[in-house]
Amino acid sequence: MIEVKEITKIYAATGGMLGQKPVKALRGVSLTLADGEAISLIGESGCGKTTLGRIIAGLEASTSGDLVFDGTALSTLSPRERHAKFQQVQLIQQDPYGALNPARPLGEALADPLRLQAKRLGKDASWVQMRAKELLQLVGLDPANTLYKYPHNLSGGQRQRFVIARALTVEPKVLIADEAVSMIDVSLRLGILSLLSDLRSRLGISVVFITHDVAAARYVAPKGMVCVIYRGEIVEYGATDAIIASPIHPYTQALLSAMPVLRGLEEPGPDRYIPAQDLDLRLDDEGGCLFRARCRFATDRCAQEHPPLVTVDEGRRLHSCFYPEARHVVAVPIEGASL
Amino acid sequence: MSAKLTDRSQQDFGLSPEVACQVRDLNVTYRVDGRELSALREVSLDIRQGQITAVIGESGSGKSTLALALMNAVSSPGRIASGRVTYRGLGEVTGMRGEELRRIRGKAISMVFQASQNSMNPLTRIGAQLLDLARSHDLPNPRAVLREAGDLASRMSLDADRVLTSYQHQLSGGMRQRVGIIFGLVLKPEILLMDEPTTALDVLSQSSVLEIVRSIQRERQLTTVLITHDMGVVAELADRVVVLYAGRVVEEASTAELLRHPRHPYTRSLIQAIPRLTGDPGDAKALEGQPPSLASVPNQGCVFRERCPYRMDVCETILPSFRFDGDGEHRFACHYEEARHD
Repeated sequence: MIEVKEITKIYAATGGMLGQKPVKALRGVSLTLADGEAISLIGESGCGKTTLGRIIAGLEASTSGDLVFDGTALSTLSPRERHAKFQQVQLIQQDPYGALNPARPLGEALADPLRLQAKRLGKDASWVQMRAKELLQLVGLDPANTLYKYPHNLSGGQRQRFVIARALTVEPKVLIADEAVSMIDVSLRLGILSLLSDLRSRLGISVVFITHDVAAARYVAPKGMVCVIYRGEIVEYGATDAIIASPIHPYTQALLSAMPVLRGLEEPGPDRYIPAQDLDLRLDDEGGCLFRARCRFATDRCAQEHPPLVTVDEGRRLHSCFYPEARHVVAVPIEGASL
Repeated sequence: MSAKLTDRSQQDFGLSPEVACQVRDLNVTYRVDGRELSALREVSLDIRQGQITAVIGESGSGKSTLALALMNAVSSPGRIASGRVTYRGLGEVTGMRGEELRRIRGKAISMVFQASQNSMNPLTRIGAQLLDLARSHDLPNPRAVLREAGDLASRMSLDADRVLTSYQHQLSGGMRQRVGIIFGLVLKPEILLMDEPTTALDVLSQSSVLEIVRSIQRERQLTTVLITHDMGVVAELADRVVVLYAGRVVEEASTAELLRHPRHPYTRSLIQAIPRLTGDPGDAKALEGQPPSLASVPNQGCVFRERCPYRMDVCETILPSFRFDGDGEHRFACHYEEARHD
């Protein structure tokens, strides 16, 4: 189990469009990831979801706050011990083209971490071979047809499968997939999403799925949780289905409204609304609701008070809006128009 | 030269009134390791005046090559091996060279690329690049281009002064893509080609970019070609859809018709593979297999048969020809569908 406790991250900005002001990428985020659970972090570019993923994976240090792995606060550990803990967490990045060395055969790229693992477990070279084949089969690649190839011989979808296989070499407990399908053809996305879902149910790996596409989150974990992040703050949290069917926070509603409507098969949802304004990180919203500049329901109160995260639905749902109202924004399938 | 172009602008070059651009038997090849590999095969289509035509296909389907071929901009090792691309008011472009082509590109036909920042100069401000664009097309009043760009920027809810005085790295991804669209529209082209205009964007930026394209297209009756792999974008924006697989057109119809009654198994799988927000997640099915590479496209028979659930013997040897449906507005090339309905 991983507990994220009041994590903040502040980047010191120098010049440029953001001026000299430091950027608050995360403003005190807390959440819990149980073993074998899936949680999706959702928000637009610049909301801090990637930073949070990188902090959980140990690739970046937080400014304040702590991570607790199975009851052990990482701040109490030595760097060496912390490093060992972070090995349980593996990050799958967005770009499968940049994640692999183009000059090395795929078999080598997979054997390297496996050899280290073999040393740790006291296994021999034949184990490395066997494990490489096992892992490739697990992610749906044909070992005989993959090991001798180079990254450029694979399609985007195959590359991402390979990157996942490589992440599994160290037998992680948690996979963090950061926009893992956004650079892959829509036609092949579903395959990667169901692979992540499979790994979770078959190997008991927890999945943190970072995306701006709520529909994709639904295929990784229909029974999982969704955590909506806006400007470094959790604004809504709940079960995936509940969030899709009845989003409470206007920002969640905006994200869901922006999903394309398959006109002809679907009608736009009755409450669909997309804010005209862009995310502007230069705005200083200290003191009030961070979303108020783009919110059509904002009042004076939203400018003066910061809405706290409150619990509703007997603890199953969290939101931070002074005027909570569930709205129906997602597209409605047209009767009889399905394939 | 300019006199010649003015004369041409009134000519229809044999195109019927609703057609802005006619593509006939277009073949594009790439020379790889001494072999000529086909990227587009016998592509014929009519791009309709004042409509948004989407070309949808996976990576390697030839959709970006088609966009380049429409501007006669396929570069070495690729070349247009045969075929014609004829525009109303411009004529046939595959035979044009050098200066003649340069004049129409950006002015009459313009293109918005997938990653717009890659087509901008990182060392000069956006405004200066717009002035360069105006001068390179010998516009009498380059400043007017800046005004037009400012108007477009405001319409796209951008701060015009800020954008024009910025370098591209000072803008966010969504803003850069909008600036790319400003570059595409500022010379008031008759035809706008867009290659994956929203692929790198998150859903909110995507939906605002789509909204901008939609409203400007309506207002100017701009003939638009949208290249994409995302059926969601097609459904939001396009009037007609051309489905491309392994360099061949396999189906074409109006968007609503195609979504409701897809005839080609490939189109059907593409629609079924879209992650949706509603319905049973189990209903969605991933498209099996991988799209063929240039070298592995079969030379005879149906190009889709390797991944097709309805594969028959005839698919191995004979290329399916087009069948027409719905007053000739819907065409598809599939032996199975043909047999099923006869």
